[in-house]
Amino acid sequence: MRILLVEDDPDLGPAIARALRAEHCAVDLVPSGIDAQHLGDTERYDVAVLDLGLPDREGTAVLKGWREGGRDLPVLILTARDGWSDKVAGFKAGADDFLTKPFRVEELMMRLRALVRRAAGHGATRLTCGPLAYETQTGVFELDGLPIKLTALEYRVLAALMLAKEAVIERLDLMERVYEGDADVDSNSLEVIIGRLRKKIGASLIETVRGRGYRLTAGSV
Amino acid sequence: MRLPRSIHGRMLALSVATTLVALPVAGFAIGGVLDHFVTRNIDARLGDRLRLLRAVVRPDGTIDRELLDRSELATAIGTDAVWRIDTPGGTVGAGMPPLATLRAPGPPVGPERGPPAGRGPGFGAPFDLTLPDATRVHGLVLDLPEGRGRVAVAVPRREIEQPLRGAMLPLLLTLAIVALVLAVATLVQLRLGLRPLRVLRDRVAAVREGAATDVPEDQPDELRPLAVELNALVRDNAAALATARGSAANLAHALKTPVATLAIELGDDPRAVQVARIDATIRHHLARARGGSVDRRAATSLQPAVEGLVAVVAALHRDRGLNVRADVPDLSVAVDAADLDELVGNLIDNAARHARSAVNVTAVRKGGFAVLRVIDDGPGIAAADRARATDPGVRLDERGDGHGFGLAIVRDLAALYGGRLELGEADGGGLVATVTLPVTAGSGTAGY
Repeated sequence: MRILLVEDDPDLGPAIARALRAEHCAVDLVPSGIDAQHLGDTERYDVAVLDLGLPDREGTAVLKGWREGGRDLPVLILTARDGWSDKVAGFKAGADDFLTKPFRVEELMMRLRALVRRAAGHGATRLTCGPLAYETQTGVFELDGLPIKLTALEYRVLAALMLAKEAVIERLDLMERVYEGDADVDSNSLEVIIGRLRKKIGASLIETVRGRGYRLTAGSV
Repeated sequence: MRLPRSIHGRMLALSVATTLVALPVAGFAIGGVLDHFVTRNIDARLGDRLRLLRAVVRPDGTIDRELLDRSELATAIGTDAVWRIDTPGGTVGAGMPPLATLRAPGPPVGPERGPPAGRGPGFGAPFDLTLPDATRVHGLVLDLPEGRGRVAVAVPRREIEQPLRGAMLPLLLTLAIVALVLAVATLVQLRLGLRPLRVLRDRVAAVREGAATDVPEDQPDELRPLAVELNALVRDNAAALATARGSAANLAHALKTPVATLAIELGDDPRAVQVARIDATIRHHLARARGGSVDRRAATSLQPAVEGLVAVVAALHRDRGLNVRADVPDLSVAVDAADLDELVGNLIDNAARHARSAVNVTAVRKGGFAVLRVIDDGPGIAAADRARATDPGVRLDERGDGHGFGLAIVRDLAALYGGRLELGEADGGGLVATVTLPVTAGSGTAGY
């Protein structure tokens, strides 16, 4: 899960980023509304966490900019203002969810996972593929009912494949969802991660679609 | 005497007092002039008779009885008159006491012959006397030259008083009509003169109730400065209110970001309890700052507010597939927009959190109030706890999940605006939360 985190506070921003990375997320932290606008328009994110009180451009203006530009990435607004008027204004600007400061990281993660799951078109919170199950509320992967241990990169790749269940994810698309914006990416590293994942969950579940990318399959198609 | 408290009363009292003083003065003045003219008329006739009587006294002071007995003389003097001639040589007269008791008349005044010319004085000196038979008479007395004695003639005073009395009735009637016209004119003047004040008062009331934003400054010259000052006051008041709200909110919100950082850094550390306490304190005082400065002049449309909130609540609870519906007419309530959002948002969110499948929001107008009803199909609240949730004695910051906190906010906000929160049981066992809010004065008509 790759997250665009827009927060200008020099303490809170890095603190949230650390907490999200601890939950295996790829996080691009930007303190500026104008930069955030640009990144949201050009990069591929699964979800954005947007602070409203930004110094150069209001969070709602950034959000409206994205929506007017046809960007439909799920956006969670993070705000100190917890009034219902602020919520109405945020939703009218195109927000998908709200979280008021202060908040628990577990709460934030749960909401982000829910937003990403819904954006992928899944109604149920528990996704399965053969022996593999993904509990989207807690973010836990299970194989035959037992939790499996994954590194952050493995987790992101598997989560992306799981959410796109049965559909092919382009290789470039997958790369974009897995690595942070400033990461130094080796073009072979994705193959390495896929290889390690196949060892953990069984080779047959991840299918390589030559020339295009990968897909997760229980073998039915 | 204390003046009445109303301007209307004061001006009316002043006008009545003026009329009460002016009319008698006018009455006495006109009466005096009338009396003067009637008396002068009588005196002219008495002067003629006095000349006749004077002719009876011979130059040597004796009385010419022959002349006195002539019938023309008696006729000229008339039967209504009393007269007397006192000379050293004798006395004649009819019905008059001795003339010595009359005050010295002094030298004769007026022309020797004919009626008094123009407005000049009469002939002889006037006197008033009560005869032994109690008849009051008015007459003229003349001292004859060289000590030849005195001549006097008088007629009963009723000859003066009768025409006067006849004139007095139409005079009083006229004065009464004048008084009546003056009173009506005063009342009309007061109504017209004070009308701009009443209009201004109505406009100020409208501003206070939120039906108008300012007082029209197109006023009579005397009231225009007042209207301008009132508008300045209204603006200052609104600005002060906004500043008070703004600074309280800014302080609270500025604290929330560092508190959020602390909360994340502490994670599951037991010290995170302190962070929760800080947050609760901020929320409590933020709510109080909001509550301490409500703007009752506000006018907010209920329908768009409810529809916006319904959309938000439905989105927040979308995973549960709730059916959140609103059927709210276009009413304007005298509640600040942010407070209305807070109140209705908490109400609908509370219902959505407890509902099984559906939340229904309706509103009707009853008299001066909008009655907003939020019905859910959840488990509801036991009757005893319902009373506690709406009890004004329960403090706002007794937080907790469930119905408590949100409903306490709704209850307190409604009370601030003169409304009320009531909880009841829905048909299926869910909760019915009914809140009444004052409708903006002059908004829509009843009939929903």
